[in-house]
Amino acid sequence: MSGRAVAVVGGITTKFGVRPTTWAELAQEVGAAVFRAVPELRTEDVDSLFVGAAEPERFAFQSHVAPLAAEQMGLQPYRILQRTELACASGQSAIRSAYAAIASGLSDVAVAVGIEKMNLPSMAEANSAMACVMDRAWDGPHGATAPPFFAMVAQRHMLEYGTTEEQLAAVSEKNHRFANTNPTAHFHEKKFSRDKLLRLPVIAPPLRLGDCSSMTDGAAAVVLTSEERAKSYTDTPAWVRGSGQYSDFHNLANAGSLTQWSGLTRAAREALGRAGIGVRDLDLAEVHDCFSISEIVEYEALGLCAPGEGGRFAADGRGDLGGDLVVNPRGGLLGCGHPLGATGIAQAVEVYQQFSSTVPPARQVPDPEWALVHNLSGSANVHSVMVYQRGGAA
Amino acid sequence: MAPPTEGSPARSPEPESVPKPSKTFEKRPFLLDFFPLETADQTRLHRFYDRLRAGRLSTTRCPRDGTLHWPPRTACPKCHQEELEWVDLPETGHLYAFSAVLAGAPLGMEAEVPFAVGLVDLDGAPLRLFGRIEGQPWTELRIGQPVRAESYDIGDGRVFYRFRTVG
Repeated sequence: MSGRAVAVVGGITTKFGVRPTTWAELAQEVGAAVFRAVPELRTEDVDSLFVGAAEPERFAFQSHVAPLAAEQMGLQPYRILQRTELACASGQSAIRSAYAAIASGLSDVAVAVGIEKMNLPSMAEANSAMACVMDRAWDGPHGATAPPFFAMVAQRHMLEYGTTEEQLAAVSEKNHRFANTNPTAHFHEKKFSRDKLLRLPVIAPPLRLGDCSSMTDGAAAVVLTSEERAKSYTDTPAWVRGSGQYSDFHNLANAGSLTQWSGLTRAAREALGRAGIGVRDLDLAEVHDCFSISEIVEYEALGLCAPGEGGRFAADGRGDLGGDLVVNPRGGLLGCGHPLGATGIAQAVEVYQQFSSTVPPARQVPDPEWALVHNLSGSANVHSVMVYQRGGAA
Repeated sequence: MAPPTEGSPARSPEPESVPKPSKTFEKRPFLLDFFPLETADQTRLHRFYDRLRAGRLSTTRCPRDGTLHWPPRTACPKCHQEELEWVDLPETGHLYAFSAVLAGAPLGMEAEVPFAVGLVDLDGAPLRLFGRIEGQPWTELRIGQPVRAESYDIGDGRVFYRFRTVG
């Protein structure tokens, strides 16, 4: 990668859930928390702030959120202040922008924060906000929310490859089990056996409630800095080694094959190529399980298994502890919930904590060196991938 | 400018021949209204809606490379020229995929739950449109099933399209 090396040197995830707190209060909460999580960080060190926020205009009726977040967090950025939006990948976008700013020398120490408040007195309005990430004027009028789109992905995957409901449930069961080890996860306290998952109500056939990530409130933040300064914050920096993104459609008519997410294959090839590794070198991956079927298609698009084999990959535990690699040890979107802007940041926090062995032992990946983080946006029409390498002591 | 009437966005005074906004429209405040603005003063694609009101599903095509667009466009995405042709689309197609919304509908659509949606391969045109699928309960739909496009009035004088099962 060109430019100087950049690392995540610390971070924090707030409690995800249905929170009795406003968007601005979540910003204040994560602002205080990140300084506690990175004790060497001082307010005046932070020259830049990147705010991942997907739809505060809709959910919180609040625009111009970058300086609002800065004020809530006690920051006064003097190099770059930017709000990043890429629907479900808004948080990763904040990290990517921070990475690019530091690599180029424009910034030395940046915070990337992700915030979303989704639980409203009118959930029909919240559902409308979710639907307007699609092509609002052409697909929106038919009622194009995420569940029926990903349900069609599941339907085609079942038709083309024989994927089963039980294989979908295997993804949910794994991620909920990991969420049970993660106190910040929305569903930390709830147990979901495969039997229970298969009896939950159908939301958009063939997807059931347990196949769908939830509308969740939450925030997360990471601190990034350059190779010169990383050691002053941590002994285990998570170095950014690769980045890739790809988008080739927006309107659902132009999606092409629902079951082959070639955009993810391309974005991952770019990110892994820049990192100089292959998918088999990965020890863990935080991927975008907005729906259980999404994780199955992502195994295939990433090349962890052949097309059509994703259901079997899940059912055989190849993405679980002891498998080929650990996928979504944090609990995924299914277990943690999906506050749109915060998810991509929370995934990076997990990578950092896995590298520094500060996660509960029940989900610690043994001696991880390489991690991949993936988010899709909307109807899987944008894919964003970053690759991290652990630095310093184990 | 006249003060906004209940349920309609603030606009210049409307001529008396325009029907009063229906109850459905009142549930959709402008900033949460999925349906597009369809008139020549609001969109360069008003011909799509004019043609749809006359019962014709259509789109634009680039005369230079012959590509059919969806949605209709004002500039070709490949050669960027802006002199595009309007062409009628086939009215029939077959289901490529479908599902139904059983929960979590957007504002204004809750009363329609459960409703089916699907991707339709048009017969004889290389387009796969997304749309509502009417005519049968979602439990009876099958991939490959034939459907026909139809236009409908959304309740306030605007039109949109959907698909209906045939046979």
